[in-house]
Amino acid sequence: MLAVLLIVWFALPLVPLALWAFADRWSFPSAIPTVWGVDGLDAAIAAGGPAASGRSFLLGLTVALIATPIGALAARGLVAGWAPLPKILPVLLFAPVAIPPFAAVLGTNVLLLRAHVPPMLGLVVVLVAAAVPYTTFMLRTAYAAHDVGFEEEARTLGASAGQVLWRVHLPLMAPALARAAFLAFLVGWSDYLVTLIVGGGQFVTLPMITASLAAGIGNDSVVAVLSLTAVLPPLILLVLLARTGSHRRP
Amino acid sequence: MHFTPPSSRRKWRTFATATLALGALVALAGCAAPSAEATSAFTDWDSVVSDAQGQTVNLWMYGGDEQGNSYVDDVLAPAAAAEGVTLNRVPIVDTKDALNRVLTELQAGRTADGSVDLVWVNGDNFRTGSEAGAWLCEWTPLLPNMRNVSATDPLLGSDFGTPVNGCEAPWNKAQFSVAYNSDVVADPPSTVAGILEWAASHPGRFTYPAPPDFTGSAFVRQVLYSVSGGYENVPAAYSAESFDQLTPDLYTALSDVAPSLWRGGDTYPADVDQLNQLYADGQIDMTLTYGPATLTRLVEDGTFPAATKVLSIAEGTLGNASFLAIPANAAHAAGAMVVANLALSVEQQVAKADPTRWGQFTALDVAALTPAERQQFADLPQSTVVPSFEVLSRNANPELSAEWVPAVNEGWRTRIPTR
Repeated sequence: MLAVLLIVWFALPLVPLALWAFADRWSFPSAIPTVWGVDGLDAAIAAGGPAASGRSFLLGLTVALIATPIGALAARGLVAGWAPLPKILPVLLFAPVAIPPFAAVLGTNVLLLRAHVPPMLGLVVVLVAAAVPYTTFMLRTAYAAHDVGFEEEARTLGASAGQVLWRVHLPLMAPALARAAFLAFLVGWSDYLVTLIVGGGQFVTLPMITASLAAGIGNDSVVAVLSLTAVLPPLILLVLLARTGSHRRP
Repeated sequence: MHFTPPSSRRKWRTFATATLALGALVALAGCAAPSAEATSAFTDWDSVVSDAQGQTVNLWMYGGDEQGNSYVDDVLAPAAAAEGVTLNRVPIVDTKDALNRVLTELQAGRTADGSVDLVWVNGDNFRTGSEAGAWLCEWTPLLPNMRNVSATDPLLGSDFGTPVNGCEAPWNKAQFSVAYNSDVVADPPSTVAGILEWAASHPGRFTYPAPPDFTGSAFVRQVLYSVSGGYENVPAAYSAESFDQLTPDLYTALSDVAPSLWRGGDTYPADVDQLNQLYADGQIDMTLTYGPATLTRLVEDGTFPAATKVLSIAEGTLGNASFLAIPANAAHAAGAMVVANLALSVEQQVAKADPTRWGQFTALDVAALTPAERQQFADLPQSTVVPSFEVLSRNANPELSAEWVPAVNEGWRTRIPTR
């Protein structure tokens, strides 16, 4: 019963979005679109939706590929007790989430510009900093539950450090790493503020074209198509994650 | 087994120290303040054109108008490519985003390699940028196509009271307009005072966005002209005496009509989008716009009622122009000038004025063009919704100076009761 309620709670906001996406015309006070069609889809393609989605995907992927290993190292260090400043480090790692993003991004941007950091590099660095708290805290829990006994056993049996990492450690941690990477991916995939301010308009992503079109009147159907495009990939990834996660769990 | 050989611990420390040192260095580096006003380094058009070859110009513009986006992508950008300049449109939610980017770069001492090359701008944003020395100036006289523009046009000489001073090239003209649903409004008013009377006799069917919204604020200034007996009686330059003398009637008129507005004047739409939405949903019968160009599409695609028409207002309405400005630190200023010049060509202005394309009123002095060029404007299809610029701009009212705007907005906030 609770599951059904939850699904309704999450799906309900998507219903008008799905209707608007295929409404060429929806005049008040009709309860459903008055003319169905794919004008919204055409407009989304004309507005550069496919290329922008590709860029967002690339950004999400890059952030995930960098923030996940960093998070794993930090989590491992915190759990094993070899990380420096064990009291302060978690606070520092969590700071990007705690500080209001607008203030943090504006301040950071002046610094990055002054240091002549290329906008694309700055964009990735700031988004990775924003994603590391999520990956660290997700993986910290996983490492706390991780039994190093398996790895010690493998070493005793003569496996090299590299073999232990690839054949024992990573397979055991894969579900947790995938979940952490998913969170980091979302940070890049859905970002608007950092892409605009730090990216300096060089990298036009899906949230940027969606937000700019949403600022005008009469764009409901194209905005609905773009918003659904933004919701679907994470949803698909989430389903895949849930399935592989349950298969691989030892 | 642990992944912590002592050496990695030392490496971590070294890395942390290096990072901190780098951060401190960066914070100390470069505190160059922007100069008061940057002027173009070019002295002749040929060197601009040769410098522009191969440049990519980043045009930052409000992206909420699909027709505007497709005009730039499908008409202006290919024409720029033919002149050797790649035009890249950066869609933004608000023109302030572009200005903020420029100001941040200047603050960081990046005075020559900025990421914004061209901005579609006017009014408040232009003034803020001018005060901060954020624009490149005195470059528009270089543009050959400036000959198509009237040198004495007051709308193009000053932008909401801020002297243009060659810091921005004309792009469009716009006229404040009131659209109404002619199926419902049987007796369309023909004056601003008439609109308020109509609102009073049709409770709940009219409202305006709360200032400081751009359009709501323009409507309040329009009422100020009306209660003062015409724009001639309101001095364009702001003074406290004029304000104290003229505005009591304004706020009395707006307070008197408030109980008859949408939701009894308890609340007002926060911006022009909300106002347009109310009109689209049939909750009110009139809407206001400073950009009537978009009305044609909104009626065609069914967002607005099919019977939407534009009121003809006897005493005229506010007119303004919008411009293309080049930031003082633009990396591709030459390319930006080529695009600004192109935008002032007859072909581009005709294409942009076509209601099926965008319908923006031309900034050119059509009367001074050759007969063949004039004919191109005359041959444009007529919008079924929006009257021609000649009709709409009859008796056009000049804008007040920018200082009036915040004063009138603040007066509205303190004197018009909302719940």
